[in-house]
Amino acid sequence: MRLIIGGYAQGKADYAAGLLRGEKWVMAKGALPREEEVQGKIPVVDCLHEWVRERLLQGGRPEEELSAFLDRHPDCVLICDEIGNGIVPAEPFDREYRERTGRMLVELAGRADEVVRVICGIGQRIR
Amino acid sequence: MTVLILGGSGSGKSAYAEETALALAGEGAKYYLATMEAGDGEALERVNRHRQMRKGKGFVTLEQPRSAGEALSRMGEKAQGATVLLECLSNLTANEMFSEEPPLSWQETADRIWGDLCRLAHGVGHLVVVTGNVFEDGVIYGETTAAYQRALGALNRLLAAEAGRVVEVVAGIPVTVKG
Repeated sequence: MRLIIGGYAQGKADYAAGLLRGEKWVMAKGALPREEEVQGKIPVVDCLHEWVRERLLQGGRPEEELSAFLDRHPDCVLICDEIGNGIVPAEPFDREYRERTGRMLVELAGRADEVVRVICGIGQRIR
Repeated sequence: MTVLILGGSGSGKSAYAEETALALAGEGAKYYLATMEAGDGEALERVNRHRQMRKGKGFVTLEQPRSAGEALSRMGEKAQGATVLLECLSNLTANEMFSEEPPLSWQETADRIWGDLCRLAHGVGHLVVVTGNVFEDGVIYGETTAAYQRALGALNRLLAAEAGRVVEVVAGIPVTVKG
């Protein structure tokens, strides 16, 4: 699994497209690609944080669900905004979403073959 | 040596700061300066989670939500060789700033805390400070919150200039900024 993180509008998805040039891949935004879409292609999840937020709102367990997805697709590429670098939000749900997304990224980074942080379109390989 | 460790919410900065403090301390005394007041449910939960993380690692916890410099007299003679982990500057800044009504100005807040941090840094063996990155959410806040950001920003810069090492923790990965 490759993990690509960074702030909003930093060029993460373009970076991923460059990384995957010449390979067959399928991208879902704010969602996990469905099995019938994958069909041997590399699954790419863009805006993973939006998916986490949605799963929390639906009462899901994003950590376990994503872990199961990774077991099925160890070759996937995950793209996620860094959302923890701000003032602590006033709303409890916003605090939970922010912190759980951050902790998930720590877990994912530990599991990733490669972690890239994109700033101004430039990817820095931090692992 | 002074080490500054910066990170966002859930970035893994606490775990990395502990590792850093343990490595610096070796067999020496280890103190944890806790700045969070364990008031309501959520804060208490966080305090308990961090306590659980530190368990069995030999830290002596000193509750110091304000006036961090006072920890020196609480450590007494042990201070000189000790490794002190202060967690975290973003809490300490809020506690100092809003301890009075009306709140202190950003400059008063930063001056007061900077005095304490200088005393600590000179009085102990190693000082590891955890701080927050509260600067990158693109929101324009009201006067009070902006003053808080300004105070913390000033303190982060002062500390970073003095520190031997500055590390940003990103998704649990330490990224060296200085040193």
